[in-house]
This record gives sequence, C-alpha cells and structure tokens, in this order.
Amino acid sequence: MYIIIKHVRFHPTIKINYIRMKIRKILIANRGEIAVRIMKTAKLMKIKTIAVKTAVEPNAMYLSHADIIFDNSDDDSEIPVFLNIERLIEIALRTKADAIHPGYGFLAENAYFAQKCIDNNIIFIGPSPDSIYKMGNKTIARKIAESAGIPLALGSNGKISDEEEAVAIAEKIGYPVIIKAESGGGGRGMRIVRDSSEMERMFLIAGKEAEKAFNDSSVFIEKYIENPKHIEFQIIGDKMGNIVHLGERECSIQRKHQKLLEEAPSSALDDNLREVMGKTAIDMARAVGYYSAGTVEFLLDSNRNFYFMEMNTRIQVEHPVTEVITGIDIVEQQIRIAEGKELDLKQDKIRLKGWAIECRINAEDVQAGFAPDPGKILKMNLPNEPYVRIDTGVQPGSSIVANYDSLIAKIIVSGADRKDALKNCKMALDKVWIKGTKTTLPFFRMLVRNQKFLSGDYTTAFLEKDLDKFYHSSEYEEMLAAWLATSLFVDENLKDNSINADYGNSREMSPWLLNKRINQF
Amino acid sequence: MQGDKTNIKKLYALSSENRRFCFPQPLKNSIRIGKREYEVKLKHDEKHGTYILWKNRKYPVEIIRSRQNRYEILFNDISYTFSVETPFSLKRRKVLKTAIGKPDTESVKAPMPGKIIEVLAREGSTVLRGEPLLILEAMKMQNEIQSPVKGKIIRIIAKPGSNVMKDDIMVEIKVE
Repeated sequence: MYIIIKHVRFHPTIKINYIRMKIRKILIANRGEIAVRIMKTAKLMKIKTIAVKTAVEPNAMYLSHADIIFDNSDDDSEIPVFLNIERLIEIALRTKADAIHPGYGFLAENAYFAQKCIDNNIIFIGPSPDSIYKMGNKTIARKIAESAGIPLALGSNGKISDEEEAVAIAEKIGYPVIIKAESGGGGRGMRIVRDSSEMERMFLIAGKEAEKAFNDSSVFIEKYIENPKHIEFQIIGDKMGNIVHLGERECSIQRKHQKLLEEAPSSALDDNLREVMGKTAIDMARAVGYYSAGTVEFLLDSNRNFYFMEMNTRIQVEHPVTEVITGIDIVEQQIRIAEGKELDLKQDKIRLKGWAIECRINAEDVQAGFAPDPGKILKMNLPNEPYVRIDTGVQPGSSIVANYDSLIAKIIVSGADRKDALKNCKMALDKVWIKGTKTTLPFFRMLVRNQKFLSGDYTTAFLEKDLDKFYHSSEYEEMLAAWLATSLFVDENLKDNSINADYGNSREMSPWLLNKRINQF
Repeated sequence: MQGDKTNIKKLYALSSENRRFCFPQPLKNSIRIGKREYEVKLKHDEKHGTYILWKNRKYPVEIIRSRQNRYEILFNDISYTFSVETPFSLKRRKVLKTAIGKPDTESVKAPMPGKIIEVLAREGSTVLRGEPLLILEAMKMQNEIQSPVKGKIIRIIAKPGSNVMKDDIMVEIKVE
C-alpha cells in the first residue's frame, strides 16, 4: 500500500485501488485545543491516542485527554518536538502508533513530514505529500489553478528576479499590486505597493521578510484586490477521487492577515454564487488530486467577482463553524479517509442549517495593538449554554507561554439565522470570565455592537478603515475603575492603619487583604 | 501627604485621557448617578477571584500596577490608568503643569518580552506619532512598535536580534 501511495506523489492521475486499513492508535503531533479536539473524535471512534508531554507545558490540559502520554520533557534538542520530524517519527514507532494527526500549524503543511510518515509505514492523516507541496508553493498553486480554469487575480508567472522586473509587471497589470512570498502564508512577506516609487523598497523588504520567515526569498506579484471579503470553502475528498464541499466560511475580520472571527455561512453569498464558488473549490482540489479535509481560499470583490488566493492543506482553526452548520465531524472524515474509506457524504445531501460564529479568545492586549500578553490563567469560567460550543486546551492554572500561539479558547456560537447567532454571541461573550492575562474579549464585545459588522457589510479592511476604537467599554465602567483606584488611594494614604501592600508584583489581591478592605468600608 | 487628612472633602481620579472623576471623601461604597445612589461592592471568591459587583453584575478587576498616587486598574478586561488627587495636589499639579509643560522625553518600552527583528528608526531622525520604530517578535507574531509621540529620536537601545524583557526601554524620543 505504502509504495503505491509514493507513486501518487509523482503520478497523481494514476487510479489506484487502495487497501483499507483500520487506524487503532493515533499520535497527536500537536498541543493545545486542536490536540484536545482530535482526541475527542478519536475517542468516539474508539481509537487510542498518544499525546506528547513537553518541558514547556508539563501540566497542559491536552495531556489529560490522551490514552497514552509520551514523556518528551527530557528532550534537549534545539528544535521543539512538534517541529522535529525525526523525533516525532521515532515517538510514533516506539509507541506503535499506526497514524499521525498533525493538527494545524507546526508540521501540518510540511510535505517532507507527510512523506516521512509514509516511508515509515505510518498513516499521515491529511492529504498526499504531493498535494501539500504543490499548494504550499504559491507560484505552482497559481499555475495549477490557471490550467484548471480557476479565476485568478492578474499576476506574474512565477517568481520575480529583480525590482526592474517587478516594476515592469506592476505597470502591465496596474497598481496597486501585492508582493507575496512564494513559500508564504499567514500574512508574512506580503507588501502592498501603490505606485512605482515604492516598488524597489517594498520588493527588498518583502524578499528579506520571506527569507527570514520561510527560508526562501522568492516573491511574486499579484494585482491587489481592494477591500475584498475573505471567503473560503471547506472541501473533503477521498482517495477514490470523490470530492464535496461543506459550504463557505467568511473570515474577513482580520488583523494583519490574522483571523479573529469567522462565520458560516457568509451573508455575501446566495445559493447561486455558493454553487459556483463551491464547484470552483472542488475543481481546484481535483486539479491536485486532493484527498482529506482542505480549504480553498478566495477573495470576493464588491462586484461579486472571486479570485483564488490559496489552498490550505490541513484542518483549520475555524473548522468548528462549518461543523456546527453541517453537523459533519471534519476530524472523523479525515480519519475515515486516511483509512482508505470511501466518502460517505453526497453533495446534494449536505445542508447548511442555521448560522455559526467563532470568536478567537486570545491572550492579547487589544489596547496595545493586539500585542501578545502571555501569563498564567488564574480564573476561567466559560458559558455553558446549548447555543455555545467551546474548543479550548486551557484551564485555570494553565500558562499561555510565549513559545506557542496565544489562543485561550474558541467560543463558537450558533443561532437560527445571523441575527439570532449575533444575539447569542453577545450574551455568550458576557458570560466569559478570564483572569490572569488580557484577552481579545473587549474587541468582540465592541464588534457585536458595531452597526457595520452587524449589517454583514464588512471587508478585510474593516479593522483598518472602519474602526477607531478596538474595544468596548460601557459608560460606567471607567467610572467604576476610577472608584476602585480612589479606594486604593484612600487605603494607602488616608487611613491611619493603612495596609501598605505591594501590588506591584501581583495582579490579584489576596483574599485576606481584600477582606480587610471590605471591612474597612 | 500634605494638609490635615480630615480636611479632605473630595478626591479626584484623573484618567490618562484627562477625564476627571470626583468622589466624596470619606469614600462611600456607593456611586451617585443622577438622583440615585447605586451600591458598589468589591468582592472576592474562589470561582471569580476579585470582582466588583455593580447593579447585579460582576466585573472582573485586577490591580496591574500602583506607584505613589498612580494606579493601573484592569476592569472588565480593559486597563485604565488614573492618578488620584486631593484638592490640594490637583491645584499644585495644575501649577506645575503650566510651569514645566509636557515631559520632554518619552521612553518607548517593550510591551511584552520578545526578540527585536528589525529596527526601522534611526537615531537623530524625526518621527511622527504612529510611525513604526521597530519590529518586535513575540509568540510567532511580528509586532510593529509605533512611536507614541511626535519627536526626535535621541537614542535607540534595542539592537536587531537582541531579546528584550517586558518594560525594557527600547527607544528614547525627545518630544516636539
């Protein structure tokens, strides 16, 4: 079986009869909420899971969801284990895992890792190394899209060699243009250029940034689509070539290309456009012989023209909104497909029901331009309501460490329609209680009160252009904070037996001190 | 503290945006809005930590920093900075402010621990408010640190590739 799959890498059009194999034990090559998410489905499927314990997070929540914990805390390698291909393969072999789920981030879109799994008779729960490689290289992806007749923004054919070529191409397709990293993603190595005077500088900066981030300074140029909506389609395909889409997600609420809130479906699409875009997404997936779960990302302009942007060859952070409106467990589908099973979904049976919104509660300081605010989560109470789904890998006592992303929890809210979901979202946000780090909560509390967002008429430029304040605070909140500051001042300066406590080092008042305080009032 | 403590009838909390909140002294655990008094309670329990109870709603509070009469309070996940003044100190503050004017140098501190990726500003150059000074990488995100003021760069302490701790001074700017 494995030798045959290797052939797929070089001859994706060859039809193969796959041998099915039941997965019994999965090594989770990830941490945090996505590790928990995968293990929950594995449990339902009666598949054992192995989690990797690291020295950075020895008491992390995801470990408690695993059947087997592999203790890697004494690993003295320079590379974090979730990026260490050799080490992960070794752990999989030692724990007799028959499959590896990479989650998102880390090695999820590393073709070499996927190939290494296959070479070691381990099932990689994801697409073929060939698909990962082709979609990971943005200029190859563009070429494949072009030959498959997928709508693309005008751009360069392949990488640009110098700034003169960059200027020539930009003149041809017209400013503004965007310079992108060939091996890029996540907004790094991207620069918007509005006229030729900026080109030389931006070309050099983008190349340098790409070199740093991806070890590859190659960049290409595309026409910059002004104020688009970010619309992506979830697709699922099996190894026999059956592919369906599970509708779209709108992810236009972004800050510097980092998604903050996602919803499904999108208020910008009607059934016709959904069908056309969905079919295009499937065509794109088919063009690279795609199997497993994947996402085809498009930009949608104000005239309802859409352009292929990129394809993500992994499960995405925002997959729950699709699960909520379709009732399909995407991780279960990934596992079934990895086992070689035929897709049990039919396009005409997939219905989008209701509306779902995901808020990413990150440990970030909204008032300081969303700067990460790592720290220990002291208290955490999350809403327990039928309309709320919570995906988290954090509990009170957990630390948000600077080594990893700053995600605390994903609050996924559903409703009968968008209005209902927004109403529920507002209620749910008021029930989230987190102490210990600053969070993106004030941003979402502002968002659910913003008329432009509520209308659905927003684009990826929303944070830059339509907001002057990134957080919500009601009129009495500042006054109450002022009252607290004043009461502290009174205690420290105006009382005869003042308690001269040092607040400088602790964010939380100790209960005994507080009781004294309360008694004094 | 100058003056007789018992003589103080009012206290002022001045926000960083110069909004002024006035409270009677002795401080009551209620706040008057229009004609009604509403009770404010500072409480603590195991489930919520420290919080303020106001109109039947709980608001999480934390004291982030306190130095002399300056307090940084985290209230419902938003931080506010106040300086608390007595009527005397408020008057003195006003006099001092007209005498000295604004502070003439601004230190740009690291908002979080991280690594300096790139220094964009140059010593001796003039920057506008909001102009990017350097790129600080933390938690996989590259953060552009912008100038909080318009002024001339006196000193750049941050070096590309170096690590900084939270609150380390990275750049000093002479306010113009």
